[in-house]
Amino acid sequence: MPGAEGADTGVVQSSPNWLTTRLDALVNWSRTNSLWPMPFGTACCAIEMMSAFASRFDLARFGMERMAFSPRQSDVLICAGRLPYKLAPVIRRVWDQMPQPKWCISMGACASTGGIFDTYTMVQGIDNIVPVDVYVPGCPPRPEGLIYGLMLLQKKIRGESVFDAGLRVEHLVDERGLFLEPKVVDEISEPFGNSVAQTRSA
Amino acid sequence: MRAYVPLLMLIGFVAFNAVMMVALSHLLQANRPTKVKAQPYESGMPNLGTAHERFDVKFYLVGVIFIVFDIEVVFMMPWAIAFRQLDLFGLGMLGALIEMGVFVLILAVGYVYVYKRGALEWT
Amino acid sequence: MTPANPSVATLQARFGAAVRRAEVSCGDTIVYVDPARVHEVLAFLKDDAGERYDYLADLTAVEYRDRERPLEVVWQLWSIVRKVPLRVKAELPKNRPLEIATVTDLWQGANWMEREVWDMFGVRFAGHPDLRRILMWENYAEGHPLRKDFPLRGRFSRSEQVRQALTSDLEAHYSFEELSIKGAAPYLPANVRRDVEEHVHHGRGRA
Repeated sequence: MPGAEGADTGVVQSSPNWLTTRLDALVNWSRTNSLWPMPFGTACCAIEMMSAFASRFDLARFGMERMAFSPRQSDVLICAGRLPYKLAPVIRRVWDQMPQPKWCISMGACASTGGIFDTYTMVQGIDNIVPVDVYVPGCPPRPEGLIYGLMLLQKKIRGESVFDAGLRVEHLVDERGLFLEPKVVDEISEPFGNSVAQTRSA
Repeated sequence: MRAYVPLLMLIGFVAFNAVMMVALSHLLQANRPTKVKAQPYESGMPNLGTAHERFDVKFYLVGVIFIVFDIEVVFMMPWAIAFRQLDLFGLGMLGALIEMGVFVLILAVGYVYVYKRGALEWT
Repeated sequence: MTPANPSVATLQARFGAAVRRAEVSCGDTIVYVDPARVHEVLAFLKDDAGERYDYLADLTAVEYRDRERPLEVVWQLWSIVRKVPLRVKAELPKNRPLEIATVTDLWQGANWMEREVWDMFGVRFAGHPDLRRILMWENYAEGHPLRKDFPLRGRFSRSEQVRQALTSDLEAHYSFEELSIKGAAPYLPANVRRDVEEHVHHGRGRA
């Protein structure tokens, strides 16, 4: 029976057995059904997120009862909308101030990849700034899209284990000021599709 | 004594439930303190100033004065309920009224003092 | 063709050669003015009893796709009392430093609008009390974004932009005025005042 606090996970390490799986099932069940969101709505996707929380599409029946606008009391950071470079340190700080366990849903094309704003002001995807668990594409995604993304996140959480030491690790911004390697940032921010031809400066 | 057994069972269950919830959360927590996480939340901005602000004393004064006069009201309530059965100084209900009147008068002196000292001024 | 705003004739009579030309486009009257005398012209338009253009609706700049065309600074004026609009433009040739007079002494609202033109186009407003960037952060080093020679994605690589974003000091971009606590400065606790002054004067900003 799990007893004293372990060094990393808070629960003693244990080889997987019936008890650990039952404990994981209990913990994951309680986590998936009470994911309190931190809505970080910046732009148009926030409207769709609001309507997903409202009565017709009702995210509360999934356990997202309380929209916690404080990171201290939230489990999921939902970034809905484009993120300018000026706002990047703010979302990073909000993410850092959320206690574990925490997950992140990147809602919309702009939060996932920068969307149509492949410009000098917009972060090309919040995964340059915070680690993302689920990407919900769309411009904006319908509320049903956000609900599907939430259900995917719930499925991901059900596959987690309390005894996994590497899971709830804080990925901090390093002393150079980057969250990912510069090469990786450049690679995932590359223009693709139609915008490859649009680097001209008249 | 037997009538209290269900109550004690409820108290025991409630206590166990509360302790179990807190203990289980504590055991299963993922404790990852970082420097930024420990700082007060200011909507994602770096902190400006500390959280230990000075408060205006008017809040304390209003709270204390309220407590005193609220207790006065608490004393008046059982008096009001038993008023018709009271019989003091041989004068019946009038005696009870005088008794309470003296009580209120003593507290009214305190009220006049508070009023004159300006403790009820909000601005 | 809609007749031109009678202010045009008044301006031509009074300022002569300073009024280069006038045209009507989609019902709007546009007057092109010599950039050296633009403050005089605008002051006349605001103060004269017959003109009284008391509202500066917009102050912006235009750079055309054709590189030979000069950069135009545009003042959109409205006379609220007379319910009449007028657009005044000044052409700044690109082979000289982009400088023009400020109109913040005429219309207070021009303050931020001129800061935006400075930020986006690099046009300096002589006499502006506080000419600094307003949309981009204060020490934005990549240039003036709305110029045609500014690449869409900025001059730095994406990783460099992300790095600068994450290492920026948010408090360094604010002055007492912008924090709206200038009037409260004497009432601030000592540690808060010290923090704010430190950020105002010695803020790290971006590398």
